[in-house]
Amino acid sequence: MRRLSRRAAAATAVLITSALSLTGCGAPGEAGGSDSASGKVEGQVTFQTWNLKTHFKKYFDGVIADFEKKYPDAQVKWVDQPAEGYPEKLSADAAGGTLPDVVNVSPDLAYPLAKAGLALNLEKAAGKYRGEYLEAAWQSHGMPGLQGVYAFPWYLNTGPMFYNKDLFRKAGLDPDKPPTTYDQLFRDAVAMAQKSGRKIAMLASTPSIEDFGRYGVRLMNAQGTAFTFNEPRGVDLLQHYKELYAAGALDSQALTAQAESAGRKFEQQSVAMNPGSALDLGNFKKDAPSLYKNIGITDAVNNTGKANMYVQGLMVNAQSKVKPAAVTFAHFVTDRQNQMAFAKQVTIFPSTKGSLDDPYFTEEDGTDATRVRVASAKSLKTAVNYTPVLLSDQMKTVLRNAVAKAVQGKQSPKAALDDAVAECTRLLKTG
Amino acid sequence: MARQTALEGRRVTGPRGFPASRTARPFRGSRGIRRQLTVTPWLFLAPGLLIVGGFSLYPFLSTVAHSFTDARTLTAGRFVGGANYQELVHDALFWTGLRNSLLYVLGAVPLLVVLPLLLALLVQRQIPGIAFFRAAFYTPVVASVVVVGLVWVWLLDDRGLINALLEAVGFGRVGFLGDPWLLLLSAMAVTVWKGLGYYMIIYLAALADVPRELHEACAVDGAGPVRRFLTVTVPAVRSTMVLVAALSSVNAFKVFSEVYLMAGPTGGPGGEDTTLVMLVRQVGTGLSGRVGYASALSVVVFVLTLGLMLLVLRAQRREDG
Amino acid sequence: MSAVVDMRSRAEGRTGGGRRMPVRRRRPTGRRRLPTLRYLLLLAVLALSVGPFLWQLSTSLKGPGEDLYRYPPSLVPHEVTLGNYAGVARIIPVWDFALNSLKVAAANVLTNCAGAALAGYALARMRFRGRRTALLMFITAMLVPVESIMIAQFLTMRQLQLNNTLLGVVLPACIGAMNVLLMRNAFAGLPYEVEEAAYVDGATAWQRFVRIALPSVKGTLAVVAIFAFMGAWDDFLWPLIVLSDQSKFTLTVGLNFLHGTFADNQRLVAAGTVIAVLPLMVLFACLQRYFFRGLGEGAVKG
Repeated sequence: MRRLSRRAAAATAVLITSALSLTGCGAPGEAGGSDSASGKVEGQVTFQTWNLKTHFKKYFDGVIADFEKKYPDAQVKWVDQPAEGYPEKLSADAAGGTLPDVVNVSPDLAYPLAKAGLALNLEKAAGKYRGEYLEAAWQSHGMPGLQGVYAFPWYLNTGPMFYNKDLFRKAGLDPDKPPTTYDQLFRDAVAMAQKSGRKIAMLASTPSIEDFGRYGVRLMNAQGTAFTFNEPRGVDLLQHYKELYAAGALDSQALTAQAESAGRKFEQQSVAMNPGSALDLGNFKKDAPSLYKNIGITDAVNNTGKANMYVQGLMVNAQSKVKPAAVTFAHFVTDRQNQMAFAKQVTIFPSTKGSLDDPYFTEEDGTDATRVRVASAKSLKTAVNYTPVLLSDQMKTVLRNAVAKAVQGKQSPKAALDDAVAECTRLLKTG
Repeated sequence: MARQTALEGRRVTGPRGFPASRTARPFRGSRGIRRQLTVTPWLFLAPGLLIVGGFSLYPFLSTVAHSFTDARTLTAGRFVGGANYQELVHDALFWTGLRNSLLYVLGAVPLLVVLPLLLALLVQRQIPGIAFFRAAFYTPVVASVVVVGLVWVWLLDDRGLINALLEAVGFGRVGFLGDPWLLLLSAMAVTVWKGLGYYMIIYLAALADVPRELHEACAVDGAGPVRRFLTVTVPAVRSTMVLVAALSSVNAFKVFSEVYLMAGPTGGPGGEDTTLVMLVRQVGTGLSGRVGYASALSVVVFVLTLGLMLLVLRAQRREDG
Repeated sequence: MSAVVDMRSRAEGRTGGGRRMPVRRRRPTGRRRLPTLRYLLLLAVLALSVGPFLWQLSTSLKGPGEDLYRYPPSLVPHEVTLGNYAGVARIIPVWDFALNSLKVAAANVLTNCAGAALAGYALARMRFRGRRTALLMFITAMLVPVESIMIAQFLTMRQLQLNNTLLGVVLPACIGAMNVLLMRNAFAGLPYEVEEAAYVDGATAWQRFVRIALPSVKGTLAVVAIFAFMGAWDDFLWPLIVLSDQSKFTLTVGLNFLHGTFADNQRLVAAGTVIAVLPLMVLFACLQRYFFRGLGEGAVKG
């Protein structure tokens, strides 16, 4: 009996200490001194990219060499993380205080880090560089409820819609007139399904948050305190998708589809339209030559006149011991010259002002690849990142599940979206 | 003579139990030894206990502690009492997850106890070329679960090989990957398929212990292969069957990868194929993961698997009794 | 001492005895037909177990410009090439990754076999106060959901300053609770008399463990070895979290680099998966004879 209680006491002690130590992930903001990035550019900067080493080693080695030449007292140690598990890796490093000095992030990854005080406020520390970037890109790492901007904007991407001319032809649709408005899209989709006896679907997936954005649905209130995608326009979009699903115009696996599986369906030519990026052209050529012969390219349909923009950024660790060097390096990588050089390596788009006016992004040479590049660059000038940074992965799941329920007819679109908005807002508040 | 001793050995050993069997008892009647041995067993156990304690049990205590807070991945939590557990009871996905995890156990475990044993018997005899077959049967086990997922999604796709075959023989296509129930069944089939080789080798190790003399005694009596299987093999590997049942129930209950890969990260259309561990991951991972709630879910998963394991062992003991 | 040795050979005669037994012929009638049936069954299972992988193999051998998405799907590559394998080695340091994996997996095998055998023997063969508690600790540990403790494990590694080391990758799973339970089950199944006799002859616990018990459970040890190897070889998330430098990455983590940020090369990914599976199959082919020392052995050879 005596032994037992001693054991229990020990266990309790363990519980308490571990509860204290585990969540202690460094006092937010305070650690590491002031947010000032002024000072001598020296010391070793650890620079982490997300799955870029395999194909762009030469480019980055060059950038790093240039930087070290310009700032002889600074060295850069470059680490690269593989495609999968990046958020988990960042979580562990953030919790363990082992986050690198300069980290490749997207806005949704930057938000929790900024909120925990682990990302340097660049409005303060590097505000002088603001004018060098496209305004929308600079703002994309601003966080609702937090003052400032928490990452340098890096490369941008946007995508056209690809469609399969052969399938359009077979369905009696004009292969040279792809849908440009949502109404046309829905109509053509139903026609496609009927003509093919439900064998060929127009679209491979259900609407995601960007689709709600492109449709013109207001996603959040102005204060960023509640979600609003259950407004009538959102319900309207979902109602349309429900009809598409019933007509067989959505792929039968659309409810569980991800970007990859949707792409595969398009390459298998069982789906007639799919969003993509300029980079996909090369894939089609290699992996699905018969599709490549029939490929059509058009702008992504939207009601707002603004394309969706994907943006990558470089965050500076607020606890970095070499802050001046880290800020200088992050700026160096994202400056006009280096972004332009990167854009010539692979079809991405620089976030620096004026870069998109470069002849490389404005002059056509008759090839499909250039045509896509020019069109994308043009749409990027006005593009916005529709996905709210506050929408966590868990909330995305909530939305997907609601969409699936509505599309299957298990719940009305209105009820499903109402529930989803309530749940997402609740999750937002508990955070 | 040899046969006799072997038979005696069997009888003395009795049915082997896992893991709390009463038969695995050190030398009976040697009470005096015990005192001398007190340090030795702990020396034998020390490395194992150290690792298991330090890297599984101790961290799990902090999971338990977290389950009473509203911690996030990057923010320390406040104590919220049983709020997480309360939330869980009202979470429809939790109940869906629990249902699916239990269905998974009911569907996969019986097959995983019986089929690998038959497979083990099939490859046990030394016939020409058998080494190749043995290694081949083990392939699904060694292939990473991601590859297995890819392969099966490709096979079961609307335009996959299986549907191509079904169409060729005149059946229509089956939407394996579109319907929540078919998805769950498909995932179970993959689990069983991948588990065959795994549990097969556990059985093989046990079968290696069954004295051949037992079979021969039986054969002389004129028993056919089926009777020999039931009267000799099954009783001889019964403890291993219980072991396999326990391990496969725990694994089936905690299934994640197969469902994730086949039914997508949401766990099927509208989350209808979610399992409990999937839910833990969905809720808890990522930079804004709700560690507190995920911890509460983990604790529940833990308690349920413990219960499941005890249930299996209880069933075994009753049979013994 | 000699008595101990003698005892051991007797123990072998009882348990794994198939090897030493003179070859006996089965009843000749009815036995003849069985192998044919057996081969048919073996082939059926073969088709089921390996068939699905042929697709990966075939994709990895397909040349550029071949349509990977035809319907109905084509399994036979039209222009067979090994270029994709060379491609994998060209764009990632696949041999360095493989070497790291090999180190981790080998260490994991050694520690698991040794640690699990020791603990399993104590649990099965020794009587002491706290035995049930110890057993319960292992069972409990086996049931802990790993998802929930990964970050806590990482923090421990950091405190031990083992983050970004291969040792940190090995440590948490270096003695698996399930392996301990497997070993316990195996030891519990051995007959007692031999050890009892050895005990009477004055053998220490260590001597009984090493000379009598351990040689009789080679089959289960082989099982533990292959499980440990496989576990370390296939693990992705934990090495990813512990390691930061690419030079230390294991194969599963490294192969993930084949998924491009901007474009996936299906053929390279397929070649990568084949590279990852082959060593395990070779290992299994080498170890498999340990699993089969029982009933069947020698029955046909003779």
